Amino acid sequence: MDEFLVKLQKLKSGIFSRMKLLFLLDVVAIFSIFYSLFIVVNLEYFLNKTTFYIPFQVNFIPPVLALLLGAGIAFLLHRKDSKINLYLLIEKKYSDLKEKLRTAYDNRDESNIILDALKMEVSGSLDKVSSAHILTTGKLLSKLVIAVILLAGTVTIAQNPGTYAIPVETIKDIGNTITGNVEKGGNETMDVAGRPEDFDKAGEDGGGNIKGKPNIATIEGKNIDLAIFPGYESGYELKEAGQTQNQFIKSAAFPVDILGSNVSDGGYSILMKKTETEKQLINKYAVERSTI
Amino acid sequence: MSNETYTSSNRIFKELFDEIGKVIVGQREAVEQILIAIMCNSHALVESNPGLAKTLTISTVSKALDLKFSRIQCTPDLMPSDITGTYIIEDVGGKKQFRFEPGPVFANIVLADEINRASPKTQSAMLEAMQEKQVTVGNKTYPLDKPFFVLATQNPIEMEGTYPLPEAQLDRFLLKILMDYPSPEEENEIVNRYTKNITPMVNKVISKNEVLELQKLTRDVPIAEDIKSRAISIVLNTRGKSEYIEYGASPRASIGIILAAKARALMKGRNYVSAEDIDAMAYPVLRHRVILTFESERKGMTTDQVISDIMKNVK
Repeated sequence: MDEFLVKLQKLKSGIFSRMKLLFLLDVVAIFSIFYSLFIVVNLEYFLNKTTFYIPFQVNFIPPVLALLLGAGIAFLLHRKDSKINLYLLIEKKYSDLKEKLRTAYDNRDESNIILDALKMEVSGSLDKVSSAHILTTGKLLSKLVIAVILLAGTVTIAQNPGTYAIPVETIKDIGNTITGNVEKGGNETMDVAGRPEDFDKAGEDGGGNIKGKPNIATIEGKNIDLAIFPGYESGYELKEAGQTQNQFIKSAAFPVDILGSNVSDGGYSILMKKTETEKQLINKYAVERSTI
Repeated sequence: MSNETYTSSNRIFKELFDEIGKVIVGQREAVEQILIAIMCNSHALVESNPGLAKTLTISTVSKALDLKFSRIQCTPDLMPSDITGTYIIEDVGGKKQFRFEPGPVFANIVLADEINRASPKTQSAMLEAMQEKQVTVGNKTYPLDKPFFVLATQNPIEMEGTYPLPEAQLDRFLLKILMDYPSPEEENEIVNRYTKNITPMVNKVISKNEVLELQKLTRDVPIAEDIKSRAISIVLNTRGKSEYIEYGASPRASIGIILAAKARALMKGRNYVSAEDIDAMAYPVLRHRVILTFESERKGMTTDQVISDIMKNVK
């Protein structure tokens, strides 16, 4: 193999290593952007609310989806990398190699006095060519800095999602505004799962359920039973107060995470804070309700 | 030998231009193209008005290259045998026998002046010698000496009583060289040189063998694939549908551009063909091979303008 070809091969591998590094940095940067976005818009919450069957743990979806998007977009951005004419790239940066390099390379299998002289000349000129000059270190460093900053931001957001995440209600409102689905008087949506601040009031007024919410609500003159049955869908069923026969429908397990989505440690730990008497009362209540 | 010729090629060309420049004022491009045609082992057609030193240029080149030079003034009554030579009866020791007397075509550099004034039959004899590099008289074939170069001239004016060369025969000339009037400064220098008693002398720069070596070296000059593709694209574009071109160039034009570009690169001291060489040689190679439509002639367009447009559209 000609000397200039060996040098060219070495240079080529150096340039492609840098291109791979640029690709990876782009993946990291795009992943960070999307993952942060998913945390901010509470994607995990909406995935939990979906009625579609998801065969794996929902909390894995945002990072995996962000990674896939990162890799996909970075691939699209770098799809022409392998088609880059390296010789033209080198010739562009080193004008003394203009037309000489590709001529020597295109005629690499031939040999004559003139061509051999050209190959020697190209080989000599390649000594001063470096991959760092072709794909500048500055570009690489700036991409590295951007990727690190974005990644650090993502880590910060992921550790304190409550601080940075947009409240679910706000997103819903924005969604409704966009879709024009603004609900008016009498049709307001109700937080049947209860608010965390009400949890400790369970049973205080005697008429409430275990979450401190009234069992019966009067909406548009009708008494609606708001009782939630464990294992009964993920929300509630509207029925007349006098209706005693419950129609159980096979559904997904009661999503405890929804209860816990507005508190830091979830509903389970709240229940665990109750006194033994309260726990027995709750248990008894749940057993009695389940037999109805 | 090739190695020595190659390493000294820069010096050779510099000395050649210096020597020719002692006699010929200006016309640098025409001299370059004549030398290119010689290096490509091909022929050239020169078109210029009378009095622009066509004969002087070519005779000077032949002296600098140490090659045998002959001139044929073409006229309508010029016979093929006047060019090729003929058998004459000779008395040798009381016996009469035929002896072949070679014509002016038996030289290294032949100037066929006003070739379009010769009859088609004579033109054919000349063009056959150009193509085959040999002459057949009677039943015998005589090879021509190497290198063999024909520089034919045409006068663009006074077309009365001429036999314009058919397109197929024009295709055999590698280049069509245009010689233009000198600039005022050059004309002043011409007057100064040729109104005195001193006749400029030209020294031999290289030998016949070195010319043959240069012809071999020309074909060794490497060319990159994309530059070669550019030359081919230019030729292919002359064949496409166009309101300006009636007939496009043949594959001989593609060979011609690349070969001429190689010779130009060697002459310029480069060991590779540049895109600049292709662009420079596309005009003399194509201008006699591209036939313009009546519409373009009506608009006053020249072949060079059409070639220029084609080159602008080729990447």
